[in-house]
Amino acid sequence: MTTVADPGTAVRRPPGAAPPVWNRRRREALAGYAFVAPDLLGLMMFVGLPMVLSLGVSLFSADGFGGYTYVGLDNFRQMAEDTQLWQSVRVTLIYTLAFVPIGFVVSLGLALLVRDHFPGVGLVRTMFFLPHVISLVVVGIAWQFLLVDKQGAVATLLRPVGLGDTSFLGDPSLALGSLVAISIWFLMGYNMLILLGGLKDIPKEYEEAAGIDGATSWQKFRHVIWPLLRPTSFFVLVNSVVGSVTGLQAFDLVYVLTQGGPAGSTSSVVFYIYQQAFTFNNYGYAAALTTVVVGFLIAATGTMFGLTKGGRFDAG
Amino acid sequence: MSAFERVTRRSLLRGGAVVLGSAMAAPLLSACGGGDQGGNPKELTFWNFYGPNPQSDAQSKWFTDLVAAWNADNDVKIKLHYLPVSEYLAGRALQTAFSAGQGPDIFLLSPGDFLRYHNGGVLTDLTPHLKPDQIADFADGALDTRKVDGKIYGLPMEREPLAVFYSVDAFEQAKLSEGDLPKTWEQLLDVAGKLTSKDRFGLLFETIPGYYQNFTWYPFMWMAGGSAVPENGGPGFDSPAVHNALKLWQDSITGKMSPRKPQGDGGNDTSANLGSGFVAMQQSGIWGVSQLAQNNKDFRYGVFPLPVPEGGTYTTAVGGWAFVANAKGANPEAAAKFIAWALGANDAEGIERGRQWNTVVKTNLPARTSVQEAAESAGAFDDPALKVFLDKVVPGSRGEPRYTPEVYKAVSDAIQAAQLGGADPAKAAADAAAKIGTFLKGYKGAAML
Amino acid sequence: MPVRLRAIVGYVLAMVTVAPLVWLLVAVLRPADELFAVTLPSRLTLDNLLFVLTEVPIGRYMVNSAIVSVAVTVIALVLHSMAAYALARLRFPGRQVIFSMIVSTLLVSLPVILVPLFLVARELGLLDTYAGLILPAIFHAFGIFLLRQYYLTIPRELEEAADLDGCGYLRRWWQVVVPLSRPVLASLAVLFFLANWNAFLWPLTATRDPDLRVVQVGISTLQGQYGSAWNYVLAATVIAAVPTLVAFVLGQRRLVEAIKTSGLK
Repeated sequence: MTTVADPGTAVRRPPGAAPPVWNRRRREALAGYAFVAPDLLGLMMFVGLPMVLSLGVSLFSADGFGGYTYVGLDNFRQMAEDTQLWQSVRVTLIYTLAFVPIGFVVSLGLALLVRDHFPGVGLVRTMFFLPHVISLVVVGIAWQFLLVDKQGAVATLLRPVGLGDTSFLGDPSLALGSLVAISIWFLMGYNMLILLGGLKDIPKEYEEAAGIDGATSWQKFRHVIWPLLRPTSFFVLVNSVVGSVTGLQAFDLVYVLTQGGPAGSTSSVVFYIYQQAFTFNNYGYAAALTTVVVGFLIAATGTMFGLTKGGRFDAG
Repeated sequence: MSAFERVTRRSLLRGGAVVLGSAMAAPLLSACGGGDQGGNPKELTFWNFYGPNPQSDAQSKWFTDLVAAWNADNDVKIKLHYLPVSEYLAGRALQTAFSAGQGPDIFLLSPGDFLRYHNGGVLTDLTPHLKPDQIADFADGALDTRKVDGKIYGLPMEREPLAVFYSVDAFEQAKLSEGDLPKTWEQLLDVAGKLTSKDRFGLLFETIPGYYQNFTWYPFMWMAGGSAVPENGGPGFDSPAVHNALKLWQDSITGKMSPRKPQGDGGNDTSANLGSGFVAMQQSGIWGVSQLAQNNKDFRYGVFPLPVPEGGTYTTAVGGWAFVANAKGANPEAAAKFIAWALGANDAEGIERGRQWNTVVKTNLPARTSVQEAAESAGAFDDPALKVFLDKVVPGSRGEPRYTPEVYKAVSDAIQAAQLGGADPAKAAADAAAKIGTFLKGYKGAAML
Repeated sequence: MPVRLRAIVGYVLAMVTVAPLVWLLVAVLRPADELFAVTLPSRLTLDNLLFVLTEVPIGRYMVNSAIVSVAVTVIALVLHSMAAYALARLRFPGRQVIFSMIVSTLLVSLPVILVPLFLVARELGLLDTYAGLILPAIFHAFGIFLLRQYYLTIPRELEEAADLDGCGYLRRWWQVVVPLSRPVLASLAVLFFLANWNAFLWPLTATRDPDLRVVQVGISTLQGQYGSAWNYVLAATVIAAVPTLVAFVLGQRRLVEAIKTSGLK
């Protein structure tokens, strides 16, 4: 972090002396590098290096006692026969395929609901956003409490309809669905706000004009709002996909709520990597898995950038 | 593993960086200092999950007193490092430390984890520090799973057998009496069904995957005549006995008499499950007696031995943690000496220390005959629950087995798949047996017991 | 939809959304023996909260979390603002490449690189230190990206006036750019504070020393320790959530603005 103090002294010049152009350019470039350097080095060290390192470590096998053995591509070969890995790929896929579309529709619905003014609309927006303010650990513990088998509030409330003995977190056929629902509850307010930002930029006149032409609400949405909201929707969807594949929300929830269980039904890929590394000390195998996931993300990003011609990510 | 060149961690990282031609990695990795050197040979760290804990309870005090007594008379000092039990059991902290070459000098180890550490070469032989009469003092079988080739690598602090705890109130509400206590698996499921109500489960078997779950399931496997690895020419894991044991646990879940998600720490937590009224019967260990005494004072409960399958022979598993010394630590010699003194000394002070631990600050069965006798004469086993453990549960028992992590994992996956995943027990067992078979072919470590 | 219907649907859904959180709060104020009751509490009690405050080192956890969150927030704002200023305003060869590299790291999340990051931190001797909790959390492309977008909108003339005064780039950044970007810095401050206060996975991985335990890790371990006492576990979670709620209430407007604009790309 010692570089932080340098730029000022590096670029100071004697007052009054008008510098020649080439000198000015050089100074500006120097200042630019100096200003970018701390963040760039930090990102290289704590994001770039780990990515590179995982490729190196993936060629080794750890014995759990500080010894590493070179094993070539064995770790990658092992993946093909690792049934639990494929189970976790399945879990991640199902989670993503459920979470992304449902979460998007819910968020969009909420955004449309609270777009225009009604008494207390500000408070309603805040209430939708509130779960997102709380940490995922607290969220996890709270839901664990609500979903205690037989005695929890949810079981008690559902008993009259015959669902009092349902184990939402203990039944492999329900646990993943419960996680998706909790994730949506946690994230819908956040995505709602982003979509609200997009909706705000759609000129009211367009809709009013459509209204005069006798368009129904659905037609207005379909032909006016939806096309104009596309960039924002795209951003939210990409964000959700990346978030669910990389376990941004799901990891903490899985850790607190199910530890990957019951019977592996909520063990996502990133949770499986975590277990391989920290429960079984298979750092080499975990690194190999990391490498594959990073490779997948890079490929997916490249494709996305290509498809969107340089990406709507970047307005600059 | 030995076919390949073994390399140190740092040279590995440097090698990895070079392989990748990463200009930034090489200077970074060569610049950093090693943390590989052992600690201070004059001050040994002792990782445990008892003390000094924030609650400063009696068990914590036993540990701090033990260390204070040692430190008063010895140059090499011991320093306690406490970890909450949930963290210690999950294994992350200890394993992470060892994988970084920074394992503690002394730590607690259960039989289930023994081979991982022994085969990793980090356990010190304690035998040279023990006199023959000290070794003979340990109860039959108490040292078996801590021994390799006649050498003792860990001294157990206790013996902890498994049985079933039951709530007297729940029995009365279901109009059941002591005469209805189940003796067979069939009766067990029958009674569990009767005890299940709208806000209570009949019977708790552990559902959280881990060494502990395997430990609690093994007795059922043994009683049916099965084993995890082939024993005495037996068939190994894919056998009708194993199928039946898996099926028993599966039936308790599909019959809706057992919870899929226990409370608190799970099956070893009697207060959170039995004491709170969440379940009416719970398979757990002898430590439950002190848990219930401490947290659920007026709770009425009883204990009965694990029921036996048709035509099976009764047994149960006896766990218990041992002190072990890190052979790669700063001063393994002194660490071993400390352990031999702490748990092996058979002078009056040593016996009293054992009695305090096993029957005063905790409820266990002592691992040593001398301590057992001292405890009995002090009236420690007058408690009806402990009496059941001593008279009915322990006879015929077997020590918690030691398997390698690979075997443990295969068995654990089978239990999880059958119990919670609804898999066909025969298929789950066959899958696990295949994995175990492949692993055993290349296995060269110490014997699995 | 007519306004009134929209309002009613909004109220109902909003209440359903916050119901679990309200339930949690009520449970904490209940006497221990009615914890699972679905009725109103017979009386309200502070026993659970008091027990946690006195018997659990939650104060220590909160101090650790505060140290880490504040340090990360302050350092990150300074570094990101400098980098963003350079990327938006200063001309230097490779600027576009550097910017693309930074933005591309947005796609790699912590859970994915956790294992190699842990190995890096271990080699650097960062495990079980405050530095280890703070440093890796600072560097994140989101803040740089957002600030750069903002700086692109600052009129050049303002800066050029400073240039005529003979200011170096560092003073130009500090005296012109930073004051102008106060609103966006404030938004990010709230966002960073919340994210770091709520962080769980990295502190869980990077520390084992109980003295360095942050609040999220602390409360997650209570689940095991006080397993039989839901009332205490829940009380601890409520206490842990208080600072986030305070930060949210204080910075709500800014936070909402930051999130809304993050989608406009």
